[in-house]
Amino acid sequence: MTTYLLRRLAQAVPQLFIISVILFALMQGFGDPVATLGARTPPRQEDKERLRRMLGLDQPVHIQYLVWLVGNDWLKLDMDGDGVGETPGQRRGILRGDFGNSLVTRRPVLEMIADRLPNTLLLMLTAEAAIIVLSLSIGIYSALRQYSLIDNLITAASFVGYSMPVFWLALTLMYIFAVNFRRWGLPYLPTVGMFDPAVGRTPAELIRHMILPVATLTIISTAGYSRFVRSSMLEVLNQDYIRTARAKGLSRSRAIWGHAVQNAALPFITIIGLDLPFLLAGAVVTERIFAWPGMGRLFIDHTQRSDYPVLMGILMLIAAAVVVFQIITDVVYSFLDPRIRLD
Amino acid sequence: MKRFPRLSTALGGLVALSLALAACAPAATPTAAPQPTQATAATQAPAPTALPQPTAAPQPAFSGTAKITFTQEPDNLNPYYSSMFFSQITTQFWLKGLWSFDDAGNTVPELAAEIPSAANGGVSADGKTVTVKLNPAATWSDGTPVTADDLVFTYDMIMSDQNVVQSRYPYEDYVAGVEARDAQTAVVTFSEPFAAWQTTLFKWVLPKHILQPVFDQEGTIDQAEWNRAPTVGVGPFTFQEWESGSHLSFRANANWIRPPKLEQIFIQIVPDDAAQEAAIIAGDTDIGVFLSSDQIEKLEAGGAVKVVAVPSGYNEAWFLNVNPETAHPAMLDVNVRKAIALATDRFTIVKDLLVESINPVNVNFWDANPPFGNESLEPYPYDPEQAKQLLDAAGWTDSDGDGVRDKNIDGQKVDLKLRYITNERELRKNVQAVVQQQWQLVGIAADLQNYSSDVYWNGYNDGGPQAQGLYDIAEYSSTPNSFPDPDSSDNWLCSTIASADNPDGLNWQGYCNPQMDELLRRQAVTLDAAERIQIYQDIQQLMYDEVIYIGLWNDPDLWSINNRLKNVRLSGASQFWNAHEWEVTP
Repeated sequence: MTTYLLRRLAQAVPQLFIISVILFALMQGFGDPVATLGARTPPRQEDKERLRRMLGLDQPVHIQYLVWLVGNDWLKLDMDGDGVGETPGQRRGILRGDFGNSLVTRRPVLEMIADRLPNTLLLMLTAEAAIIVLSLSIGIYSALRQYSLIDNLITAASFVGYSMPVFWLALTLMYIFAVNFRRWGLPYLPTVGMFDPAVGRTPAELIRHMILPVATLTIISTAGYSRFVRSSMLEVLNQDYIRTARAKGLSRSRAIWGHAVQNAALPFITIIGLDLPFLLAGAVVTERIFAWPGMGRLFIDHTQRSDYPVLMGILMLIAAAVVVFQIITDVVYSFLDPRIRLD
Repeated sequence: MKRFPRLSTALGGLVALSLALAACAPAATPTAAPQPTQATAATQAPAPTALPQPTAAPQPAFSGTAKITFTQEPDNLNPYYSSMFFSQITTQFWLKGLWSFDDAGNTVPELAAEIPSAANGGVSADGKTVTVKLNPAATWSDGTPVTADDLVFTYDMIMSDQNVVQSRYPYEDYVAGVEARDAQTAVVTFSEPFAAWQTTLFKWVLPKHILQPVFDQEGTIDQAEWNRAPTVGVGPFTFQEWESGSHLSFRANANWIRPPKLEQIFIQIVPDDAAQEAAIIAGDTDIGVFLSSDQIEKLEAGGAVKVVAVPSGYNEAWFLNVNPETAHPAMLDVNVRKAIALATDRFTIVKDLLVESINPVNVNFWDANPPFGNESLEPYPYDPEQAKQLLDAAGWTDSDGDGVRDKNIDGQKVDLKLRYITNERELRKNVQAVVQQQWQLVGIAADLQNYSSDVYWNGYNDGGPQAQGLYDIAEYSSTPNSFPDPDSSDNWLCSTIASADNPDGLNWQGYCNPQMDELLRRQAVTLDAAERIQIYQDIQQLMYDEVIYIGLWNDPDLWSINNRLKNVRLSGASQFWNAHEWEVTP
């Protein structure tokens, strides 16, 4: 097992390196970070030229990549524009733990990610927990009662849920529970944000503000996942070993819970395992609509500004998480399914 | 059978872990927000020991919170590090400049004791020196007095090669130096007379006592803690906290010369327009901005919200490409350009797609900068017959009967098909569709193209469609460089035409006229107000006659204000200038 882990981790190094080169090359297509500077009209010509020079954007791409990778503290930068470098660089590069500074906020990228990550994890893990519990229960329930009225209703509801655009669902929920409920004098939920400034940042406020975004994420994903659980459960229920178990006198519930469910759940675990790293990326649309300050919005906001250090930081973090979670999923899988041997 | 407990343990563990992490996170979130006390310590503000403490005065009672939604998050609170509208408008709460502009466009002294003028000796006869007298009562929120040294420091920081500030305008172009004559008097020397100093000079002053130590230690203020957590400011409110992506808050500052009535300003970042609309209707926010005309009815329906239009210099317009290198050959003929204007029924567009009273048809680029707009000019009328005659006379006729005019140029038949580009905003797409039909009636074909905003504004080297002249008509909302006093000299100068040799040039229309160059140069250095207004009238007459700009509609900023919040008088130049007078009804 140790050899296996070490081999997988060793493979991850060139993997991440190649990913970083490809991503950095793609970043060049994002446009000019000083094109608008977020203003309503483009900046002056002199300011654009100066900013490009001071931020190192006038350097060739391979130099910019090198600076991102290993830093520029071995270079002298030309800050005054006389064509001769005079100011020593400060960057240490991602290999030495320095993800660089945002071109937009001038803050360290890691600090910016650290600001948003807890919010995203809070939202996404809560939603993911709800998704796992609900899809397993709904999927197993409808598999056991295949073609019953309830199963048919769930099937119909799943298709509706699966085909609903996230933004539409989010805004509909907001209008029903936050705008109209308030108008009708019913107990209502807040529209946007994480807490009401008049009440303050309390756990109760946080939960109130989480209900709608979590519900949005849960409805959309549960619709698809419960179908997945249902079909893999149905497949297992028709296997010979279930019939054998029943034939040798095992009760229906023990055959189902003892044999069927765990086998049906194995592929689900793979899916969840591969899902988890992407939880770090946040939910772009849901975060945007409910004004939830997470990673998805950080990514979109900085994409619009072509802020490549922030984008590279987020993408490399997710890439690393994917690699790590793939290894974890494989290990967990071998632990759950004795047919699979890692060594 | 044997393995079932393992599976359930694994799954149960995963769920429990998720829940545990989720439960932990809320407790962790508040610590991520900058704590005012820590931030103060980090910036190492010297304690104002020898200064009179505000305890001597009776503490005014502050009450209530004004909630504001921003659709974009400020990228930096130091306004010299951000060009964003939303960053700059917050400064009216916590970082006042020398003076502000009220809702009628009049100057209101803030840090300055009075507005410099020729009459009070503040402006020298040759217009090359402005002497600013500071209000001795103005102090930073920590009690330190605001001095002329702060102005000198601000100028030094902007011009320092170690600070990557967003813009050095107007200091780089016009200011020769800033010096402190005494603690309360600063003298600004210009290299040549500079007319628009009032709207551009020291819009914000940086606290030397906080930032000088940072600059000395780090060699730059790019990374200063103050840029993100400016616990020391100067204005009716003081920075309280900024949680990335979520909110900014400011609390009442009793030390300001005009103490506020509210206790707190709470700014919520709500990036989605539809969500902002819901928050306004639900009463979850008191002030919202960047609304569109079609939202007004819905927002005001409940009776609790009022939408106000605040001009800030913007007009929606067509910018015509007249660059011989890139434009359609027909665009180089002034009569064809005039025909385009006459063939477009802008009055119907405004009536059908906008609100006429708020967005009347625009004539000039400077119409939203009174008194500079040329009121003697009328919008080109809608006259398709005259448009046809002009096109016929210019040699553009429909020779092949396909409904689109054409002309034989150097032995080649060229169709009168114009590239009409804009970004992806729904309203603009609707305008494009209507215009395409209107033009059809006179035999002009429209090639409609839409770009995402970031691509649309890209520079020459990044393939920006405007910068590279890949268009004949470009639509967007624009404004002169400063407001309410305009200083626009970049966009129509021969020397600023964008090209491979001059990729950062901002003259994307390729317009070159020595007469225009001369007028634009003269407006910048003419100090006599009446004479300068006359120059602007001439500039607009020239643009009107040459038809390089076709206004569509006046485009004021639309703000929603909840009736709960009283005394809000928004101005186009210093939006929240009277925040100290705001009040909320419980």
